[in-house]
Amino acid sequence: MQADMKKFILPVCGALILGVVIFAVVFFGGSDVSKDIFAMDTYVNIRVKGRNAQKSADIIETLVNNLDKDVLSRQSKDSYIYQLNSENGGKSAKNMSAYFGMLFEIAQKSNGKFDFTLGALSDLWGFGKNPAVPDKKEIETVLSKCGWEKVTIEHQQISFPEGLKLDLGAAGKGIALDEIKTYLESTKIREAVISLGGSILLYGKRDYTVGIANPENSSTNFAVLTLPASCVSTSGNYERFFEEDGKRYHHILDPETGYPVDNGIVSVTVVSQNGTFSDILSTACFAMGLEDGMALAKEYNCGIVVITEGKKVYVSDDLKDSIEIRDGSYTIVE
Amino acid sequence: MDKKLFRKADMIIILAVLLIAGVFLLWQYSSGDNLRAVITVDGKIVETLDLDKVTGKKVIVPDTSPKVKIVAEKGSIRFDEAECRDKLCVSRGKLYRKGDTAVCLPSKTVITITGGSVDAMTY
Repeated sequence: MQADMKKFILPVCGALILGVVIFAVVFFGGSDVSKDIFAMDTYVNIRVKGRNAQKSADIIETLVNNLDKDVLSRQSKDSYIYQLNSENGGKSAKNMSAYFGMLFEIAQKSNGKFDFTLGALSDLWGFGKNPAVPDKKEIETVLSKCGWEKVTIEHQQISFPEGLKLDLGAAGKGIALDEIKTYLESTKIREAVISLGGSILLYGKRDYTVGIANPENSSTNFAVLTLPASCVSTSGNYERFFEEDGKRYHHILDPETGYPVDNGIVSVTVVSQNGTFSDILSTACFAMGLEDGMALAKEYNCGIVVITEGKKVYVSDDLKDSIEIRDGSYTIVE
Repeated sequence: MDKKLFRKADMIIILAVLLIAGVFLLWQYSSGDNLRAVITVDGKIVETLDLDKVTGKKVIVPDTSPKVKIVAEKGSIRFDEAECRDKLCVSRGKLYRKGDTAVCLPSKTVITITGGSVDAMTY
């Protein structure tokens, strides 16, 4: 009898230990959750791994929706930006002051090439609705009412003249990524990849691979970056555009001319520890042009990849070992 | 005598487990090698295709508004036509590599080639 018992001790113990290990892995390791939603006027993919992953993914979805509806949207009548725009100012919201600080800072550093006050100009072009090339005189009239230097913040009060409309479109996705990152840091989530319409948060202690869209066929990538936890944003002239009389007009507007930026740049990708900076700088560096744009990214310790016409690729020193070109028709310029 | 028998049985179980694991890995590896496209509308999967097995032109028109026409061929898939104004999804071109993604925002339709070699795409 005893011999029979002994016979079973080993396999039973083994099975028990295996059971405990599997339970521990499932319980403490958490599951892998992927969620697709449409929010902030774009496609959002939420992927989280760790304890309570499903709950965290749901919270992130709510966070993005609320941030858009209550704060950033220019269309939602309940949003903070909508109210500021309809009353030519208002109280400076506490949770937004740091982000406004960054917007002003980059507007100044880019000598106004980056401007978060072009809402009325963007409306005139009809991006997102019925885009068409506006009359030149109309552009001049609207442009004369835009300009970040016309916005003041004093005693926690924001004010700007009538006709000027704030547009946080170039920062909104980055702001959302930073808010998501702050939330994730309060959870037991180990890894997360949040893609907000092409602006990405990489979260967790491992290296990630990020494909940079091929401007000629943006559903596929022209190069791949291998990066640790960080935020990545791209601004490209292929992303939102329309064609009129055989000419292509994209959505990144030049605050000096009122027309789409035309400086030979096709796309700019910026890697930063901060989502808002990566988002703002991708637009700012696009508008500033190759040399000034790369210099600004360096000033902020951000990695940058610029594609110019002729399929030339310029890469900041810190990313040279992280980039792998997948489409041989693009060449890195040393 | 008893002990010997026990060892034999153990070996059989171990071999069986290894065999099952091997078959499973092989199955995973072989199916992972094919190009598989997934079409979702508003986050829900409406069609899954093995692009290596598509013959001729396969046209897919999911139930969306505005309407989009998706065309799959051997080794590739694309938004072919869209009823929306900007037609940005059509301009995104063909998807032909793992991880390729194209989105039509107005119709909330996403095409992805699964098993991507990248964790995310920036655009």
